[in-house]
Amino acid sequence: MTSTFISHELKAFWRSKNTGKTIAIRIVMALLILYLLCSALFFGFFLDKILEKAFLKEDIVLSFCGILLIYFLFDLFMRLQLQELPTLRVQPYLQLPIKRNALVGYLAFTAMFSVFNLWPFILFVPFIVKIIAADSGGLAAFAFIIALAGLTVFNNYLALYVKRKANLNGWIFLIAAATIVLIGLSDFYWHLFSIRKLSFLFFGNLINHPILALLPVALGVVMYYLNFLYLKDNLYLEELGSRKASAYKSSTEYPILNRFGHIGDLVANEIKLIFRNKRPRSALVMGLFFMFYGLMFYGRPGPVGADGFKVFVGMFMTGIFIISYGQFLFSWQAAHFDGILVSKVKFTDFLKAKYLLFSIVSTVAFLLTTPYVYFGWRVILIHFVMYLWNIGVNIPIVLFFANRNYKRIDLSKGASFNWEGVGATQMLLSFPLLLIPYLIYGPLAFFHHSDIALGLLAATGIAFILTRNFWIKQLETDFYTKRYKIAEGFRDK
Amino acid sequence: MIEIKDLKKIYNGVVVVNIPNLEIKKGESIGLVGNNGAGKTTLFRMILDLIRAEAGEVLSNGQKVAGNETWKNYTASYLDEGFLIDYLTPEEYFYFIGGLHQQSRATVDDFLAGMTEFFNGEILKKGKYIRDLSKGNQCKVGVASCVLQNPELLMLDEPFANIDPSTQFRLKNLLKDLNKNKGVTTLISSHDLNHVTDACDRILLMEKGKIIKDIATSSSTLNELEDYFGVGQTVSAPIKVDEEENH
Repeated sequence: MTSTFISHELKAFWRSKNTGKTIAIRIVMALLILYLLCSALFFGFFLDKILEKAFLKEDIVLSFCGILLIYFLFDLFMRLQLQELPTLRVQPYLQLPIKRNALVGYLAFTAMFSVFNLWPFILFVPFIVKIIAADSGGLAAFAFIIALAGLTVFNNYLALYVKRKANLNGWIFLIAAATIVLIGLSDFYWHLFSIRKLSFLFFGNLINHPILALLPVALGVVMYYLNFLYLKDNLYLEELGSRKASAYKSSTEYPILNRFGHIGDLVANEIKLIFRNKRPRSALVMGLFFMFYGLMFYGRPGPVGADGFKVFVGMFMTGIFIISYGQFLFSWQAAHFDGILVSKVKFTDFLKAKYLLFSIVSTVAFLLTTPYVYFGWRVILIHFVMYLWNIGVNIPIVLFFANRNYKRIDLSKGASFNWEGVGATQMLLSFPLLLIPYLIYGPLAFFHHSDIALGLLAATGIAFILTRNFWIKQLETDFYTKRYKIAEGFRDK
Repeated sequence: MIEIKDLKKIYNGVVVVNIPNLEIKKGESIGLVGNNGAGKTTLFRMILDLIRAEAGEVLSNGQKVAGNETWKNYTASYLDEGFLIDYLTPEEYFYFIGGLHQQSRATVDDFLAGMTEFFNGEILKKGKYIRDLSKGNQCKVGVASCVLQNPELLMLDEPFANIDPSTQFRLKNLLKDLNKNKGVTTLISSHDLNHVTDACDRILLMEKGKIIKDIATSSSTLNELEDYFGVGQTVSAPIKVDEEENH
């Protein structure tokens, strides 16, 4: 039975509309994943050097043993937020004559296939092989790996167990998250106890008594069994699903938008789209995180702190929403695109609404970046120039590519590791967005005319803002040649 | 009202719609019937300019539909849930649609008050987004938003499919009222032969993309249709047809 399930699962993956169909996308994605893995592997290989630098006076094995439990605590916290429940896929099997044990066993087992379960091995196994195997022998190294595996399994199922419970009662999630934060705080802030010492106590002894590795394994097995029992008792759709019991949804209004008439209504709808759906909401939240982007660059010596980088950083901070939300433009509305096409919405108004939405969010983003004045007025000046650039140039670019985007997005799915809606358009889009400002800025700045370069960027931005009606007209004409294809793509679930 | 000339749609070499000539006059009530895959939804989508016709054209009030936006002012349609903005509450959606037609909130509220019976307490003030409603209730929202627009042409694709029997009768009365008393041209597809012959004055029967029968409804129409659909059956009992092809 399990093999049938696995073959169905594989088919589901390969036949899914969202698995990158074209070779180019597959290659780019494979490269991206490879890059991520390589960076992690790189980190893993040089963990000994990093530990040496970080804890100067200590033995690196000591510090390694110390960080392990801290890592797993952090891992648990991340899992609680990001790991998806492998659930609804069982729905078509529930009414068939299949033993519950087979189904539950499969469900519980597939929960192991999560990227989270790879990280501890990529990060720590190189160190174990390099240092511990060399110092204390193969058996100790083996015990370490077994212990890591046990803790990973334990974390995996603990996180899923909490998430399943939390589906029935939202408080459980808060309590679990608060517990983890409290444990963290009581160590690092209140110094009530030390996780490092605890971690060292266990892993330090593991070197001499490899048999201790069975303890995390036992924990893992117990947690798996708990999950198994829970699933078996609760094999009902409403309890499996990741949809939470819904509270009363009330209507909302944005009176400020009323003054914009129809266009304001459209913007209000889109704001609701963002707030009420998981994936666009995470695009917005990511955008907020980007407000701290400047802290990584500004005030640093060398090229990183120079104007050239500020142009880049400024564009990202004031325009991150245009980029992250705009790259999937129209796809967000795929589910009701037919409705838009037949309703009395003029496409010009539809485009103007996008302009208005992006202008509002970019303005807010610009205002949020004003505290960077701490790094000098020039920073704010560059931000303002790039803000004009974003509103003037980047909005029409994003809309131009939106006319070439035929992929549907399911709004209810989360954003992490979700490739749905990603196509060649998104890859191509990044080139003009990233390159064009530098085509203007780069040559002039190279000859030390960066003020003129900034002026030119600002002037271009303003020119595009003033001529926006012309661009909207062009975009509309362009859209009319492509609307059947767009609508057809969006109908394609 | 609607004029169709040499309309053709081909998918992968298969002709799915082929209508040489069809005229729908103002104030008519048309029922479109046909088995799955007959091309009903495709025809609707072409009338609404949602898919490109391989050949031919659809005229609405004498103007070409394709690339035009005027027809949107007097045409209201509900084909499937894809016509609803599902993350809005029903109230927000009605206000939005009303706003598109220059209706104030008070006007929309008045209209909604008149729909109380049709909604049967399932739609308004339930604290749900449209996506959390059942398919039948989503259909009610879609139909109501169509009526709200005071259309001259109303197009519904299988409105009877997901709604409960009470609502089916209410919808039928609503359609009759719109057609007879307000002069709305209605174009409805359905698998329910009883309802469609009751609510419509003219029945178009589609098979493999063609309109093979064009009947003015009379007392014998139902039997005629049952004979057609009951192929190979000795007793001409109304047969149950699958709800709808996949959208």
